[in-house]
Amino acid sequence: MNELEEKFGQIYFAVLGAVGLAFGAAELIASAGEGFTWGILDSSGAADPTFLPWRAIILLSAGFFYLSSVKDFAEIHQLAKAVLGSIMIWIVAGMAIWSRIASSIPGEETWFNSLEGFLASYAPPYCPEMFLLPFSLVIVYYILKEKEAER
Amino acid sequence: MLKVPLSVDERWNLIEKISKQTVEFGARKHTLKDAIAELTVKPLTGIPVAIAVLYGFWSFFIDFAGTLFTDGFMVRLFDEHWLPWLQSVFPGGLGNPFYALLVDAGHMENGVLVASDNCLESFGVLTSGFFVPFGVVLWAVLAFYLMFALLEDVGYLPRLAVLVDTVLHKIGLHGYAIVPTFLALGCNVPGVTATRPLETRKQRFMMITLLSVFVPCGAQIGIMQDLVPELMGWIFLTLVIGYLGFGFILNKIVAGKSPEIIMDVPPYRMPMLKNIVSKLWIRTSRFLLVAVPFVLLGCLIVGLMYLTGAMDWLATVLGPFLMSWFGVPGETVAPLIAGFLRKDLAVGMLGGLMEQGIMTTFQVFTSVVLLCIYFPCLATFALMLKEENWKEFLGSIASLIAMVLVYGGLIHLVGIMLGVA
Repeated sequence: MNELEEKFGQIYFAVLGAVGLAFGAAELIASAGEGFTWGILDSSGAADPTFLPWRAIILLSAGFFYLSSVKDFAEIHQLAKAVLGSIMIWIVAGMAIWSRIASSIPGEETWFNSLEGFLASYAPPYCPEMFLLPFSLVIVYYILKEKEAER
Repeated sequence: MLKVPLSVDERWNLIEKISKQTVEFGARKHTLKDAIAELTVKPLTGIPVAIAVLYGFWSFFIDFAGTLFTDGFMVRLFDEHWLPWLQSVFPGGLGNPFYALLVDAGHMENGVLVASDNCLESFGVLTSGFFVPFGVVLWAVLAFYLMFALLEDVGYLPRLAVLVDTVLHKIGLHGYAIVPTFLALGCNVPGVTATRPLETRKQRFMMITLLSVFVPCGAQIGIMQDLVPELMGWIFLTLVIGYLGFGFILNKIVAGKSPEIIMDVPPYRMPMLKNIVSKLWIRTSRFLLVAVPFVLLGCLIVGLMYLTGAMDWLATVLGPFLMSWFGVPGETVAPLIAGFLRKDLAVGMLGGLMEQGIMTTFQVFTSVVLLCIYFPCLATFALMLKEENWKEFLGSIASLIAMVLVYGGLIHLVGIMLGVA
């Protein structure tokens, strides 16, 4: 990884880490009370209240992992922390997407959902980790770069 | 020449000497995979990752088995098609003993015998007996073993073992104990078999006893999740407390040693689809072969006990004890008897009682926990007989009875103190 990539990674994952921490904290607060829905952002935990505090802990940890990876970002153990932070986001976001897929297939009155019902299942609002998911994918670039260097 | 066995220190010195002569040491650059592998065994970074992995495991389990298959398709298939069809074509009708055994026993409403409208209440061999294994349990077991095989093949399980090593040492076990525990969450039978690598009789005895009491199988978890999703957190918390608490006590009172174990932690690997599929097939098919006959037999025995009046007699005899000690109604006798054959079937029976409004939420919680801890299912019981000697087996049974009485009573006491029992 060159100097520019390292600098970009430091700034990018510092910001992503801070956002992850903020989302995690918000989910933690939401899990103690009624939760909140703000525009297309939903942290009500209506679908799975048992899992909300765990999701919050995972998001907080991912945020910490990103932030702690920033110093000496090009060092392999530091980069590994950022990779783990992303993997944690992929797990929670992946499960949120899987949950929507699972509930979108069967219909209310019929065996299978109608096309409208199916598509409506994917409409907003979305939980915080789904917003973080695309931004966490930037780590794939760094993983590929590292693989290249290893070769 | 007289051969004197080497002491532990002498053995280690010998190992060091041999390795110095045979192993070449050099600088090696860590790869990204090595760094990730290291971070996942260090508590500070490894525990959050473990929480994320277990979160993913259970989320997938719930949505695959519960939302998609059981609630999405199976409940409809069995309750709206299979049960009404059998009720319409099966000879005899409500009140007929043969019909009651095979299709629908019905239930009393205002003194009138009425037909059941779902396969959990009907309790016939062809209705509940098919719904429990194929409508609920199969999908739960499939989801569990799929995730388990993935974690196994990726190489995550040994890392989880390293992470929990410190905690499990406090109860005389070591990190490896997480492997049989995890396996038992799928089915107690392979869980008990997986205790074989444990080094001492004490560790095996403790592990088998704790597994058979405090670790519910995938089938049971699946049906619990379907019936009482809102209580799952509390049920698991109660079981974990029991596992650690009684493990600590057993470690103090059981004679024997708990030595260290050296475990190989393999590197992370990409799982192979072929391996995953074959593991899934072997484990799920074996599970079905063991489970289905017991569920059908359980339905038949419980049905016969209802028809002959034996169940009512048992409920009358044991009812006062169950109510005063555990705080659960006499009607739970039937699930407790069925639970000896199959715990998933027994929890399903509790579902029937819940729908009839016989139990309060706390009684449902206590009954489900009691069903988890009161006795291993018949298949596990038979394996315990095989794996332990008579002395250990009797010890396991005695510990089991003591744990159920003490822990069940304690849960009731806590409920009284909190004002919910």
